[in-house]
Amino acid sequence: MDLSVSLQGLFPFVLILLVSPFLVGLINKQKAILTGRIGAPVWQPYYDLARLSRKETIYATSASFISRIAPVISFSAILFTLLILPIGYVRPLFSFNGDIIVFAYLLGLARFFQILGAMDIGSSFEGMGAAREATFAVFAEPIFFFTLGSLAFISGHTSIYDIYHSIQLDEPSALVFIIVSSISGFILLVTECSRMPIDDPNTHLELTMIHEVMILDNSGIDLFLYQYGSYIKIMVYAVFEASFFNPFSMANEWLGFSVFIVVIFLLTTVIAWVETMIARFKMKSIPQYLLFATAIGILNLLIYTFVR
Amino acid sequence: MEILFLIGCSLILIGAVLAVLVKPIQLALRIYVGVLSAGLLFNLAFALVNLVHLPATPLLFPGFPVLSSFFRLDGLALFFLLIITSAAIPAILSTLSYLNHYLHKAAAVRAFLVSFSLVLLSTQLLVLANHAIVFLIFWELMTLMAYLGLLLEKEKPEIQKGSFIYFATTHFATFCLYIFFFLLHSQSGSWLFSDFQLTQSSGMVFYVAFFFGFVGFAIKAGFMPFHFWLPHAHSIAPTVLSAFLSAVIIKTGIYGIFRMLEFCSPLPLWIGAGILAISLFSAIFGVWYALAQHDIKKLLAYHSIENIGIIGIGIGLGCLGITYSIQPLIWLGLGGALFHTFNHAIFKSLLFLGSGVIYSNLHTRNIELMGGIVKSAPWFVGLFLIGSVAISGLPPLNGFMSEFLIYRGFFESASIFGGYFPFFMLLMTVGLAFVGGLALACFTKINSIMFLGNERSPHLKFTVTGLDYLSLGLLAFVCLLFGIYPQIILGPISSVVAIFQSGESAQTFSTFAQWNFITGIFAAIILLISTLIIWKVSRTNQRKSAAWGCGYAGQTSRMQYTASSYADDINGIAVSVLHLKSKVKIPETIFPETSRFHSHAGDFSEDGLVKPAYSWIIGKITSVDFLSRTDIRFYILFMLLTVLFYGGTAILWTYL
Repeated sequence: MDLSVSLQGLFPFVLILLVSPFLVGLINKQKAILTGRIGAPVWQPYYDLARLSRKETIYATSASFISRIAPVISFSAILFTLLILPIGYVRPLFSFNGDIIVFAYLLGLARFFQILGAMDIGSSFEGMGAAREATFAVFAEPIFFFTLGSLAFISGHTSIYDIYHSIQLDEPSALVFIIVSSISGFILLVTECSRMPIDDPNTHLELTMIHEVMILDNSGIDLFLYQYGSYIKIMVYAVFEASFFNPFSMANEWLGFSVFIVVIFLLTTVIAWVETMIARFKMKSIPQYLLFATAIGILNLLIYTFVR
Repeated sequence: MEILFLIGCSLILIGAVLAVLVKPIQLALRIYVGVLSAGLLFNLAFALVNLVHLPATPLLFPGFPVLSSFFRLDGLALFFLLIITSAAIPAILSTLSYLNHYLHKAAAVRAFLVSFSLVLLSTQLLVLANHAIVFLIFWELMTLMAYLGLLLEKEKPEIQKGSFIYFATTHFATFCLYIFFFLLHSQSGSWLFSDFQLTQSSGMVFYVAFFFGFVGFAIKAGFMPFHFWLPHAHSIAPTVLSAFLSAVIIKTGIYGIFRMLEFCSPLPLWIGAGILAISLFSAIFGVWYALAQHDIKKLLAYHSIENIGIIGIGIGLGCLGITYSIQPLIWLGLGGALFHTFNHAIFKSLLFLGSGVIYSNLHTRNIELMGGIVKSAPWFVGLFLIGSVAISGLPPLNGFMSEFLIYRGFFESASIFGGYFPFFMLLMTVGLAFVGGLALACFTKINSIMFLGNERSPHLKFTVTGLDYLSLGLLAFVCLLFGIYPQIILGPISSVVAIFQSGESAQTFSTFAQWNFITGIFAAIILLISTLIIWKVSRTNQRKSAAWGCGYAGQTSRMQYTASSYADDINGIAVSVLHLKSKVKIPETIFPETSRFHSHAGDFSEDGLVKPAYSWIIGKITSVDFLSRTDIRFYILFMLLTVLFYGGTAILWTYL
């Protein structure tokens, strides 16, 4: 592998690291506008992160070394998913057969340690959040394999880069794939990044929340790692979603680039709109919602198996 | 090199004899541990040396050709020998500290030591056997000695019940295997494994033999719905034995299934498809049942069922490959299954031995009574955590690598076969991902409830001996090594799988993935994590304060989230399938009264299949109860009638 390819692979990595807080700022700004407020500036997440990195870290008296290492492991695992994820037509730093599995399981590793870090406090708040996170993850993982996995089975590739590059525009079924995958991809994003119909990212003092209640006792650099990690995760899933529109960039690089930007922007708008319009679901009905996403994910393959 | 194995086996026998002869029990225990670990090291060296030099077929007893023909040192046998010895050494090392609590019962301890060493010996000879009768002898010896080992605390009623279930079930398995081997013998006219041949052209015999063989081995391996004995036996066994039971003895069932695949050729499609279906079922429900358990050893036993399911999925994929003679699929399926068998032996030993350490300190297996152990034994918790991450199949540990191979097998078979295969393989993939999610939930549950938070029942101190650290550390090291650098074991696995691959196009593992990329990524992750941790620890601005409690300062350890409440969200979805029963008594008056909550996790196979079948058989037997008389003359009459019947049949058989 020569140097220019590696540098090209590092480019998306650095880009996502830099841009991901902006994406969250964008969502929050649009949400504020939709609810008739001026809202915090788009750069607010950067200020938050800078503030958190300066603050002192407070550990609960009941906390052990797990609380100290969990944010680090969780953050590192998320960071490494970036090295596998392609942005559009840019080849990621690491692309090999089967990296789709490594991608899914690295996110699993991040989740494992985030749950342990939350349970380390021994408080019911964190316990409740962690239990819910574990439950919904059980249903979210099938969605990942039903969307990207079904594309993998259709195309016969097992590397995320190759899978995206196998989507062709000239087949009519490709359009259906894009639509179906976008829907279940969106539901996956909402679940994994704890956005609205599943979880409310704003009210972390309620017992009804998931992600925010897990990081209740984290502060300073630990909170920095968790928050930054969650921003990156939103960006990862946004790119994941936008890459379904990869065929456009194969037709024309600049067209593809603008489609990419537009899709990500639209995604933030949709997230903001959903968060404004819909209240959070009852905890009991969330598994049904996730199973719905699974069911439409299976459509992909049914179309492939029976239409062609 | 064969001398290594003979020395090893003799040392194991000498250890058993010394455990009886040496008078002070403390000394006997120490000598036993020393001699047995030396013996097992010899056998481990023997397995490693021969695995590297495959496919050489040395004789076990040079100069005795007939005796040597009873044993076969092919790749499969040696690979299982490697699994057995590498799981047995840590178990033996942990025996010292575990049995320290039972030293007042010297006779029981001595009996346990003898039966344990015979279990170790017979298991190793069993996988090397090439003669059906020799195989059955060692199989029976292993089963019986494990049964005697279960009886260390035989005065407890739960142990009598659990060990009897083990005894009865495994003997049913042995009964099935007798039929299997007799049918094979009648087909091939030989008792040697290397001569056995079972083809579908033999008609009914093929199906009957396959059925009995599979049921026999599946009971031992613990495939659902044959798994019901496992949670009973594992939870009551002395922990060092339950580690060995789960890591190795159930793997002899897997070994048997591998041998069966060797006998059956050509392999029909339904075998592969059937194994895939039963394995996915075992994997999903094994882990789901595990989630509902509070008893740490019962929970780990259900996880064994899950992992047997994952191994079975690999075997099923390999069968499909054998049926259509597709070399990459054979490699990915069977190679993944073998690798996972090894990995499961390693991390399951780690977890069981860890649970033994907890039991000897806290004297309970109920995880709801634990908590806060991380403060008194952080290194121990770290090692247990490594095992938990590995069994959840998360990178960068070894459990991930073997599941990775199996996942690759799904994708590979879908792209090779086409047709409806992508659809079914996608379902398998999603099923395995679902299992992974449930395993994650389960192992975050037990780690956080057992180790984290505050102590639920006060314990003064938590002691972990140096030898325990050594055995757990060795296992954790292997988990890490084979996660980051699996290439070292994939080479031997390739040569083992070559047995099942026809033709000269035996694949090497390097064609399936860019292993160096994976090694690079995993090493980089570990490097990054360590750097960040060191950087974070060196930061000065940190302090301690009370946990957030909405202003309520009087939190007690009983207010923590419990294991039942943690698992309730997931288990609530499948209450009826899982046979979960709970009784709630809520006070309905104005003034507070005592309220109660009781939950019980049943088992569909035990409650729904085995118990009804058992009572049906009992009912049938009692219907001929009128024959039982007090007068001995009736019995003499019965005997004469029986002899008359057989004799008459024999005469008619001869002359008609």
